[in-house]
Amino acid sequence: MNALQLFFLAGFGLAAVWFGWRVFRTHSMVRSAMSLLACMVALGAMFLVLQAEFLGVLQIMMMAAEMSIMAFFMMMFMMDPGGLGNMNMTHQQKPATALSAAVAALLLALLLSTNWPAPLAQVPTATQQNHDLGIELMTRSMMIFETAGTTILVAMIAAAATALVYPPQPD
Amino acid sequence: MENNNTLPTTLLVGLLFAGGVYALAVLEYWSVAGRLAWARPVRLALKLLAREEIKPRQRDAVFYETAPVLLLAAGTLAAAVLPWSASTPLLSLATGALFVNAAFAYAMVALVLGGWSSNGAYAMIGGWRFLGQLLAYSMPMVMALTATVMRAESMVPVQIVLSQRGLWNIVYQPVGFGLFYLAALALAFLPPFDLPVAAGELAGGAWADFTGARRLVLRLGRLSLVMSLAVTITVFYLGGWQGPGLPGVVWTLLKTLLVAASFFGVGHYVSRVRYDLLLEWSWKYATPAALLNILWVGILLLL
Repeated sequence: MNALQLFFLAGFGLAAVWFGWRVFRTHSMVRSAMSLLACMVALGAMFLVLQAEFLGVLQIMMMAAEMSIMAFFMMMFMMDPGGLGNMNMTHQQKPATALSAAVAALLLALLLSTNWPAPLAQVPTATQQNHDLGIELMTRSMMIFETAGTTILVAMIAAAATALVYPPQPD
Repeated sequence: MENNNTLPTTLLVGLLFAGGVYALAVLEYWSVAGRLAWARPVRLALKLLAREEIKPRQRDAVFYETAPVLLLAAGTLAAAVLPWSASTPLLSLATGALFVNAAFAYAMVALVLGGWSSNGAYAMIGGWRFLGQLLAYSMPMVMALTATVMRAESMVPVQIVLSQRGLWNIVYQPVGFGLFYLAALALAFLPPFDLPVAAGELAGGAWADFTGARRLVLRLGRLSLVMSLAVTITVFYLGGWQGPGLPGVVWTLLKTLLVAASFFGVGHYVSRVRYDLLLEWSWKYATPAALLNILWVGILLLL
């Protein structure tokens, strides 16, 4: 990894942390969701810097729709219909802070104590990565992904079905 | 990632894109007024620049400024990976087809942000409507693109054009083309699917509270979006730069303008689609049709 890559990696990493922080520093669901979107896009950009082109572009693409839909759902189901209201996004601050610090310390300890394998000398080309990912998804990981995909689909259909009113009521 | 962005190529692509957007502005007016007014876009731009900027008092300052720029970025980013001829993609991404989708996804974010940040009921409804519209068009669009990628066995746009050497994708997978065409109309919120900005219903919808220069950037962003979508259709379904006689770049431009003119033409003759119907048709018919299209292409590939 050359100096330029390291610079951009650090830059996008800091941006991701900053936007992640902003998620909890606002009183609006929509601002919060959009900060999370910016955070995720910065993560996607980190993938791009690490030459994982497919994962980076996929992350940036998927998060646009996901975070917007999340904002919409949060506004529908929580007590902030317009998304502009003054809602406190932090609850039980002292226990939450303690827990976050503990989890962060644990993660750092894991990161530092793990014996990471040496980085690849040569990153596969983007085309090769697409190919390898396709083979992986279609062979070894197929069952896992199919099961997860079907489960999510069933959950979505069930959620929509339980939200419907039967018999249909006149408006 | 390999770069072709030498200065002449960048200038060529930039000029073609900007010229195309200008032509689109003229074509859009033609679809409404029935005549070609070549100077009108310039006059309109000057008028909007000179106009007083009226901002809603309790707007969200950050998002209000972000939305127009984000729409313009979403409209233009895809142009970097789309080839006008074999040697003109500015950036040759191995995930080009996916990148195009990623860029277009932010048009929705821009409209939702714009509608929400201006803190008006009509604008917000317009923005949320576009989110609903996304649910209707995004699945058919991605799945239609997937089938073109299957045929080319590559996500590189240049390879996708080359895979249509013998037969354009519009003939090879007509269902996919139809779905992509309709999804493109919905993505650019053009007339049959213009609910987010519905003229005469929501007082301008998502961009009701934008005036002056910001309004200009929004209009420019929308036209860039239409332009990028027309180039995308040309590249993915109409054989890109391939054609007899003329240089490749000219073919791409001709096909692109033809597609864009057809967009505006369709909008002129078809009435607006209600958005509950849009969602219903999308889930009941468009998504299954897109899956069948993938099956159809898969069978053709195995034959």
